[in-house]
Amino acid sequence: MRRERAYLILRDQSMGEVHSFGMLGLLAATPALPLDEAGKYVAGAYIVFLALIVIYVAIMATKLQRIEKDLRDVARFAEQGSPGTPGREAEDNSDQAAPGRGSEGPSISDSLAPHGSRGGGA
Amino acid sequence: MYGRALKPLSIATTVAIVAAFSLVFFYAPLDADQGFIQKIFYLHVPLAITALVGFVIGGVFAIAHLRSGNSKWDAYSYVSIHMSVIFGVAVLATGSIWAKASWGHWWVWDEPTLVSFLIVFLMYATYYPFRYAIEDRERQGRYASVFAIVAGAFVPLNFMAVRMAQSLVHPRTFGTANGGLPGSMMLTFLVCLLAIGLLWVTLVKFELTAKSASGQVKRLRRALDAPAPGGRSRVAPEVS
Repeated sequence: MRRERAYLILRDQSMGEVHSFGMLGLLAATPALPLDEAGKYVAGAYIVFLALIVIYVAIMATKLQRIEKDLRDVARFAEQGSPGTPGREAEDNSDQAAPGRGSEGPSISDSLAPHGSRGGGA
Repeated sequence: MYGRALKPLSIATTVAIVAAFSLVFFYAPLDADQGFIQKIFYLHVPLAITALVGFVIGGVFAIAHLRSGNSKWDAYSYVSIHMSVIFGVAVLATGSIWAKASWGHWWVWDEPTLVSFLIVFLMYATYYPFRYAIEDRERQGRYASVFAIVAGAFVPLNFMAVRMAQSLVHPRTFGTANGGLPGSMMLTFLVCLLAIGLLWVTLVKFELTAKSASGQVKRLRRALDAPAPGGRSRVAPEVS
């Protein structure tokens, strides 16, 4: 009811006034958004979709952070020229534990069974 | 190299999604039968189509892998299937919400469309344990490709079987004698399909880029650890 009242008020006002309301005015002037019983299901469906995307991006961000850390380790290792890359031993162990982990191969397939991303990928 | 065109693709995807959702809520008319609930259609159906097409694309990449033996195609196939499984989760979630709003139940077991999609989804859910149960890298890729091809062939067969089945409650929107969507709804649907398709492509490229970067780091580590032709490690030379 409040939405309908807002719509009626806005209908009688000039466009300039509608702009001044901003997003609230736009929502109120849009009869295609009846946020009643049906609205909560529609909102739920779209929120689930957006949540999945956000979760995926968050997981990918974590993976990218790990890659960045690995890259920093390798760069430091290359610059210092000291034996034993930090974390290398641990990774070697995890590589052995990870099923499907071979010894050689093109770089893209190396990442198909890394630690942490097995099965999940994202 | 996988990251090439990722930026314009991401921008195009964002623009397409914003345009699609704007059309859904501010342009497409309310459905005469379902009313506002029908807005879920513009999300649910493109997600389902994209997921199913993605499974088939994964099968096509798997064929390329078996034909060429290039593990790049195996990675493409894996990422395509992986992304389609994620989209499949979204299809099941949005479908359940729509079912609850429309039919009063979260799930209807005697509806072929729902159950067949669940079967396809669960079949692809077994792809991960199947793949990673095999230790040898080459065998893993080969077997996973065979799985992807067989499962990919099952998807259109399954779709046709469902179309031929007598539906109980799930509507048939496209290509039916009762008529399809009106123009404005069809335009909105097509823009949504384009947006979701673009999202799938972008996320596949994003994942491939991340995997490639991760693989490059590992390759670099191996190269740094490997002894140089003179018998000395290239990164850990003996200091005299």
